[in-house]
Amino acid sequence: MRTLIANFALLVTLLATPARAHALLDHAEPRVGSTVAAAPREISMTFTQQLEPAFSGAQVFDASGARVDQGRAQIAGSVMRIAVKALPPGTYRVRWKVLSVDTHTTEGSFTFRVGP
Amino acid sequence: MPMGHRPRAADSRRHPFAVFVLLALALTFFPDRARAHCFVGGRFLPATLNTDDPCVADEMSLPTVSRFKTGDDPSAKETDLSFEFSKRITENFGISVGDTWSRVSPPGMPSVHGWQNLETAFQYQVLKDAGHEFALLAGLVVEWGGTGSQSLGTDRFSTLTPTVYFGKGFGDLPDAAGWLRAFAVTGEVGYSFPTVRSTATVDPMSGDVSFQNNPNFLVYSGSLQFSLPYLKSNVVDLGLPDFVNRLIPIVEAQFQTPVANNFGTGIGTTGTVNPGVIWVGDYFQIGVEAIIPINRASGTGIGAMAQLHIYLDDIFPTTVGRPLLGANAAPSKPFGN
Repeated sequence: MRTLIANFALLVTLLATPARAHALLDHAEPRVGSTVAAAPREISMTFTQQLEPAFSGAQVFDASGARVDQGRAQIAGSVMRIAVKALPPGTYRVRWKVLSVDTHTTEGSFTFRVGP
Repeated sequence: MPMGHRPRAADSRRHPFAVFVLLALALTFFPDRARAHCFVGGRFLPATLNTDDPCVADEMSLPTVSRFKTGDDPSAKETDLSFEFSKRITENFGISVGDTWSRVSPPGMPSVHGWQNLETAFQYQVLKDAGHEFALLAGLVVEWGGTGSQSLGTDRFSTLTPTVYFGKGFGDLPDAAGWLRAFAVTGEVGYSFPTVRSTATVDPMSGDVSFQNNPNFLVYSGSLQFSLPYLKSNVVDLGLPDFVNRLIPIVEAQFQTPVANNFGTGIGTTGTVNPGVIWVGDYFQIGVEAIIPINRASGTGIGAMAQLHIYLDDIFPTTVGRPLLGANAAPSKPFGN
């Protein structure tokens, strides 16, 4: 057993490469599932890992399914921002799909509400 | 615990260093694109302790520790240490190897210990439907007879178990479903049959020979899980502490029912219910569950099990954590942007 553990430790050393996990949504502004009184001008999403800008993006939709974002998301490190049009009161869905720098793809979606 | 049962190769036990070095060299010369453990759309299905998750993956359970009282009369105390290594050969095909070291202590008798039979699983990813958070996996689990310790009375014959695994997240429910969208279920159903229909035993006193049937079993298990990570990222961020946001409370249940070749064996359905919780980290997860037998033949009292499960695809994204052969699909522009 001791030999096995020693060999395993050696293997870990030999194969050690910079470890990076999947990029998961850590938090967003507006917050996931929240209601905000004032319409945001952009949606900001912070992920748990650095993103690959060329293969990461987001879209924002209103309750009827119409897109209300202003196009391509801006990505810096682990933060993605996407500007939105003037949002009247209602419920909006944000869909995101990102590639972390070590090529793990993840995706998700959440809603927030603008209103009193 | 993957495969559903045990883990590890006799040859690799004799020459672990050589096997690891060869594996490392082989992996070094197969450049590829690393990908995920069990992600389906926005859903992460963790490795569960009794029911295998429905994805091929590069991962390792090291170890799974369990302690419980057996269904024997009188019950014996059993401690198991399990190890399992899962590796993708291609993007959709993977193998698992595992074994279990057991120590059994019958009341008033000396303890016995040793390795259970080696188990391997060959699995193919049939489907991953991101939109419906649904995954389907088909596999063949093989318990290799004669590879375990005789002192434990392990079977001398091999057992084959064709198995179907599935997982379904409920994130595709309407938004009005609220927190229900954070639930997911996984399950597996297999038909287990021995390669030898009956086993002969000789009474050492009388010399009489008797035969006992080796039954075919329906083996089935499942899990109901509530994902706080999913709740936070996809439903509602409650501002809970990070430790809490990484928890997945879970209830598992596993059963086996003899369905053929069981005449005269006196064997009925056995199983356990396993409530517990899994904490999901970036590179590993830790699971703890109780073991509650469903009847006397399944055991007595409440046991416990714990597992450290390691995501090799995250720790070694450019070596062990990618398929041996072939390439992952190249990343696409999100939403066609």
